[in-house]
Amino acid sequence: MMGARPMASNQNTREPVTRGASDQKIRLVDRWRSYKAHHRATLFTTLKKMLSEPIQTLLTVVVIAIALALPSVMFLALHNVQTLSSGFASSAQITVFVKKDTGSQGITQLEKELKALPEVAATTYISSEQALEEFKALSGFGSALQYLDDNPLPAVFLVQPARSGAAELAQAQELVTAIGALAAVDDIQVDMLWMQRLATITDVSKKLVLAMGVALVIGVLLVIGNTIRLAIQSRREEIIVVKLVGATDAYVRRPFLYTGLLLGLFGAIVASMLLLGSFYWVGHSIAVLANLYQSQFQLAGPGFSGILGLWGAGALIGLTGAWVAVMQHLRAIEPK
Amino acid sequence: MIRFDNISKRYPSGLEALKRVSFELEAGEMAFLTGPSGAGKSTLLKLLMLMERPSSGTLLINGKNLNRLSRSLIPSYRRQIGVVFQNHQLLSDRTVFENVALPLHIAGYPPSETGRRVRAALDGVGLLEKETHNPVTLSGGEQQRVGIARAVVHKPKILLADEPTGNLDPVLSAEIMALFRRFQSVGVTVLIATHDINLINSLDHRIMHLEDGILTDDGGASNGQ
Repeated sequence: MMGARPMASNQNTREPVTRGASDQKIRLVDRWRSYKAHHRATLFTTLKKMLSEPIQTLLTVVVIAIALALPSVMFLALHNVQTLSSGFASSAQITVFVKKDTGSQGITQLEKELKALPEVAATTYISSEQALEEFKALSGFGSALQYLDDNPLPAVFLVQPARSGAAELAQAQELVTAIGALAAVDDIQVDMLWMQRLATITDVSKKLVLAMGVALVIGVLLVIGNTIRLAIQSRREEIIVVKLVGATDAYVRRPFLYTGLLLGLFGAIVASMLLLGSFYWVGHSIAVLANLYQSQFQLAGPGFSGILGLWGAGALIGLTGAWVAVMQHLRAIEPK
Repeated sequence: MIRFDNISKRYPSGLEALKRVSFELEAGEMAFLTGPSGAGKSTLLKLLMLMERPSSGTLLINGKNLNRLSRSLIPSYRRQIGVVFQNHQLLSDRTVFENVALPLHIAGYPPSETGRRVRAALDGVGLLEKETHNPVTLSGGEQQRVGIARAVVHKPKILLADEPTGNLDPVLSAEIMALFRRFQSVGVTVLIATHDINLINSLDHRIMHLEDGILTDDGGASNGQ
């Protein structure tokens, strides 16, 4: 049954027949060159494939663009609100009412004490007489006030806190407590509640935008993952053939990763156009509004780095989505 | 070059496709693998292509144990063998030239070298003038020859063929066989699975016979005569 052929394992002693297979070795530099060439070729074929199905590609890109533009617009809006509110906070003043029977020496003493506090940037003293004059001029009750026996208004210090901004509200609270402890102080008025509310609202919005951004990024990942999954299914035959002639996993993966990367990048480019469009659209109205309030406020745009960041994020999300899909589905396609 | 040592293959379904198969194929030898369909011919070739792994036994290729080859090394192993498939496995979205160039492209040959080798391989199968055609527009025999050109373009040491003449008439089949003998004559080890008894009986080559997963005829004696 076995015939005359010996089954011995003297494999190594056999003289191999000379053949043209010795040139299996390919120079490293050629390998590197063709690796780069394959990247380039894959990029171009991927682009060509995407353009050959323009409607499908456009739909996917627009879905990705909207999902990326929404959180970007909201993030930008929030950034502007924060800039605006920190401007308000810096104009916050603490009004310190001086006890009525405080003499001029006591007032000088209080001014010194106020200025000694570390968080105080500047103080302005308004004597009770000055306050009365101001009140006469502004209120319109000027003549009625002449019937008063003595000046009912207290002397006042306007205190400008050194550090301002929503984040330092807690420190402002400490400052108020410190001023309240001074001997000659009668009462303190600080209009901080609305600032606290604004800061809290900004904080809540920030969290909402973040949550929505995460949800939409997951959505983009799923959209790209599904697109790649369909692409893998439709190229099943090709994958099997290239695997049979010795393609590595990386070689098989490459076109799909490029598809994901390009979809994400194109989505981000369209998203940045939507972002800039809405920015210029709203920007003009904001400028008019700010002018009406005599404010120097200017709507801050995303900036060059912001746009680049958005593109990078889009490309990265696209690549990640493609990678996840490829990892899930490519292993399952083996030649059988 | 190829050595099967007590190889058995049992599929998860319980089917035992190969039962303790042992044989050895020398470098530069050409052999036919025959047997009725379902006898295990395809399974044997799949083991050689590493599409399947043996359940037991050792498979040595050029002295190297294939069982120990990890999954990540399969691509580089497949680049050293050439395979001709019954259903051609050509890609219809590219030209004949690109199909034949695929193994070189994957292995990272420089473009000039690729062009030279592809044209040489196409010339060898007599299809040089069809290099810009789409494989779909070619006849069955021509498609099979493109498949052969792709299998040998990287000058493999081992050439495997699964029913390469399955759908061809006797004249075309004889042409294809003549091609295989030419590769053998330059030192390639050739293993062809076929049930075309008439064809192989007319050729003087080693014939191995598989029956229900058992190698009933090693064919070594006939070769030695």
